Amino acid sequence: MEWYSLLFYLLFVGQILLISYWLPRRMSARVASIFENYPPAEYPKLYPRSLDYYQLGHSLFVGCNRAILLLGFGILLALLTVVDHATFADDGFISEAWPAGYGMIQALPFVLLECIAFSQFRLMRATQSDSTRKAELRPRRFFDAASPRLVVAAVAAFLLSVGVDLWIHDFVLSWDHDTTQRAFWLVVGNLFMVSIGLWQLYGRKQDPYQSFSDRARQTRAQWTSLLSVSIVMSFFMLSTAVDDVADIDFLDAPLMSLYFQIIVLLSIGLLLRTLRPEEIDFEVYRERPAET
Amino acid sequence: MEITIDLESPDPLFAQLIEQIKAAVQSGAIESGDALPSIRQLARDLEINNKTVAKAYRLLERDSVIQTRGYRGTFVHPEAKANSTIDLVAVVEEKLHAVVAELRELGATDSEIRVAFGEVLNRRGR
Repeated sequence: MEWYSLLFYLLFVGQILLISYWLPRRMSARVASIFENYPPAEYPKLYPRSLDYYQLGHSLFVGCNRAILLLGFGILLALLTVVDHATFADDGFISEAWPAGYGMIQALPFVLLECIAFSQFRLMRATQSDSTRKAELRPRRFFDAASPRLVVAAVAAFLLSVGVDLWIHDFVLSWDHDTTQRAFWLVVGNLFMVSIGLWQLYGRKQDPYQSFSDRARQTRAQWTSLLSVSIVMSFFMLSTAVDDVADIDFLDAPLMSLYFQIIVLLSIGLLLRTLRPEEIDFEVYRERPAET
Repeated sequence: MEITIDLESPDPLFAQLIEQIKAAVQSGAIESGDALPSIRQLARDLEINNKTVAKAYRLLERDSVIQTRGYRGTFVHPEAKANSTIDLVAVVEEKLHAVVAELRELGATDSEIRVAFGEVLNRRGR
């Protein structure tokens, strides 16, 4: 076996374990600890639906990840034994479609979790019976949430990626050209992330009960995550541009697997590490005694 | 510094806002030169109409409690503390109370006073 194939298999095992075992396990443990330490009887505002509903969602998340974990090892086994790489990919190397396709499947339970969280916040707002509303008497500013250094780094990485790509390809700009498409997707990806960040910073609070200090912390963590992901995305695009001229096709699959892992670590991993339950103000989810 | 308004309170929302901002100035929670949130941010956080916040800001600016510095935003006025002592709603109510009492003495009914007030306010708005 060639060294780059071995490198890919090692990275692919890392991808399977990181995204479908380690992170779901940490998330599952966190959800279980919230159920245990902040029960519906004491924190009713946190549970607009019955606890059974959330436990079912939790079990579904765990089950999906287990199935995807098994699928990952199945794919790994197939890649090692059955798949004929010479006929599957034009260049004869392990195709990057394997880690990319599997990575997208791995992302599904997390997307499901995001959808559940979104509907949870909508329901919390719909069932909010308290007529009082709070606001902070100070403006929210962009650089309170986003580190200026990271912003500069993200912009520089973007310009470097697009600039080098254009330079390598003699500044050819036509829609059927890879350079234009890469620049387009980089712009679309960055615009999407910026809009999420701005929505979080200036938009309405998703969780109607969330304290302002928690919101500020969450926004800062989210911007750090988004800017870091943007930098990695730019460098990944740069690597694919260099790939066109440097004859490093054999690194496509390992790079793709590594890219997925870094993206997940910088998004879900970073948020999990930064937003710890013990630092969140759960008192806001208690029922206030009726005023007399 | 947080402010709280009650959507179901009989007091108008803009009056609650004015009262809370003046109280914050009085207590020293916000000081002269401090930046205030934009109208849009405050309206979004409180889940009320932009126009309500704009009205409160306009009245606070008229009373020199806050000042708008163009695109830089809204700030607490240098004389805010001295200008936050007067309760405008109470002043208006007191004056109106005297006028209504005088009109009743002259024989006007409450209905006539309401219609007359409406006409005066409408004429002022034109």
